Amino acid sequence: MASFILRRILMLIPILIGITFIIFALLYILPGDPVRLIAGPGATPETIESIRHEMGLDRPLHTQYLDYLSKMVVGDLGRSYQTRRQITEELAVVVPKTVQLSLAAEIISSFLGISLGMIAAVRQNSWPDRLITALAALQLSFPAFWLALMLQLLFAVKLHLLPSSGYEGGFDKFILLPAITLAIPSSGILARITRVAVLDTLREDYIRTSRAKGLRERLVFLRHALPNALIPITTTIGLDLARLIGGIAIIEVIFSWPGLGKYAFDALVFRDLPALQASVIVFAIFVTLINLFVDILYGLIDPRVSRAA
Amino acid sequence: MTDPNATQHFVPQKAVGWQALIRNIPAMLSLGFIVVLVLVAIFAPLIARDPKAIEMRRTVGNEVLNPPFSPSMQNLFGSDQLGRDIFSRVIFGLRTSLIVGIIVRGLTMVVGALIGLISGYFGGFVDIIIMRITDIMLVFPVLLLAMTITAILGPGLSTVCFALVLVAWPDVARLIRGQVLFIKNQTYVKAAKSCGAKNSRILFRHILPNCLGVIIVAFSMGIPGAIMYEAGLSFFGYGIQPPMPSLGSLIADGRGYITTAPWYPGFPGIVLTLLVLSFNVLGDALVDSFDPRAR
Repeated sequence: MASFILRRILMLIPILIGITFIIFALLYILPGDPVRLIAGPGATPETIESIRHEMGLDRPLHTQYLDYLSKMVVGDLGRSYQTRRQITEELAVVVPKTVQLSLAAEIISSFLGISLGMIAAVRQNSWPDRLITALAALQLSFPAFWLALMLQLLFAVKLHLLPSSGYEGGFDKFILLPAITLAIPSSGILARITRVAVLDTLREDYIRTSRAKGLRERLVFLRHALPNALIPITTTIGLDLARLIGGIAIIEVIFSWPGLGKYAFDALVFRDLPALQASVIVFAIFVTLINLFVDILYGLIDPRVSRAA
Repeated sequence: MTDPNATQHFVPQKAVGWQALIRNIPAMLSLGFIVVLVLVAIFAPLIARDPKAIEMRRTVGNEVLNPPFSPSMQNLFGSDQLGRDIFSRVIFGLRTSLIVGIIVRGLTMVVGALIGLISGYFGGFVDIIIMRITDIMLVFPVLLLAMTITAILGPGLSTVCFALVLVAWPDVARLIRGQVLFIKNQTYVKAAKSCGAKNSRILFRHILPNCLGVIIVAFSMGIPGAIMYEAGLSFFGYGIQPPMPSLGSLIADGRGYITTAPWYPGFPGIVLTLLVLSFNVLGDALVDSFDPRAR
């Protein structure tokens, strides 16, 4: 087990190198010129050259990349072009807020998704099952930005129940609307996967055995089906969290939630390339860590996985 | 030889293939809806009014109205602040959505399938490198990455397509690679190899045709995602640029009128949701009917 975990953690190193490499490749090898993006449309060639020199972008690409990597290792992601402050310091402020929001959303989503999925599975082919399955398909089909606007319209403008946007410290009424917006598609995915996972376990031999020996249906479900269905469900919650974080930026922007996503978006709007680059890398690291955690957790729950690896 | 289904004879066999698809009512409704929307998009100039026609004043009876007009027989989805018909703007936006969705997903399938074929067939070092790249591409925040790419290249139809293909190919490559790994150990591929067939012939005459089912399903499953991402990019101003219409930028235009004219951002979003929903339902039904591993 320990060697399994250690191996997974060591695998992070090439992945981190890969993440930074791909970002570098995208930003600096694409035919567009990032410096032109920073300088804005009306910049003179002299301005462009001076920015290029100031940012060290006139050096050979591999020097820039190695330089960036070696600084990143000691926690130096450069300075924001807009605020001139250390990006690492700014990230320390925004990242916890994204963690708050994603956790709140994932809690709502897991609760809703798993309970709906279980109801659907236990009552397979009944009208609640059909309703839940249809609802899940709809939940997946909302464009997130539009759903955010409509929820603002409903809960803030019409019903005056919740504030439409803003941030006042974390787990309060301000987190509800963005968290619900994020949880709506997520819980749809979770409901579907939970349904299939429970249905799969209900088909196993040991379920038939426990039914055959006269165990009550409730006990069959709670003692035998549920614990085994939880293995794929746990993994799914982790993967769902990773997916949710991938789409959190636009929700943060619409609800003025001052997290990493909004930071990244503002960096894009203000053409602050170093900050944008750093936040995309941090997003990717985030998701990588979640995947790692899910892997390890999976190994812990299901010993077959860690032994096989 | 024993029938693997022998023990299940008393269970009514679930229909598979086309039969299952045709009997799937929600899927057929979705298909119908998609066909209607595609026809509407093709014949947009015949159905819609000029989406740019401005109407600053309207008299109903002896009342003088100013835009935005609320939904009526005259403006099915209401009008915007300049009196432009939102129904017509939606129809032209729908056109863009469908075009982008199909182009992006088509290109993604070509790129992803080629890379997946190479990765799965040749294996070894090439495979390891390609799979590591896809691993890493999958951890990036898709929309943010796509926005960054279009911002650098300058937003517009072609850069939106480029950015969306660039962020979406890894999924397809992995899917096709998995399929190739399975097919390349089949007897007919080994037979072709032993006859001295060239790699390119085996790849394109034997393996690719056998991936076609998976490719078609993945193509249709991926269209709603592409449509949604284009709308997201355009909503934030990093996608399709005016004067080219897009549902995303239409919703962005209407955002400021959400309290005074909720139909303005509302209807384009409803149409977008229904479009994505129909593709999702149809895609799920395709998987159910043609993928033996899924239920």
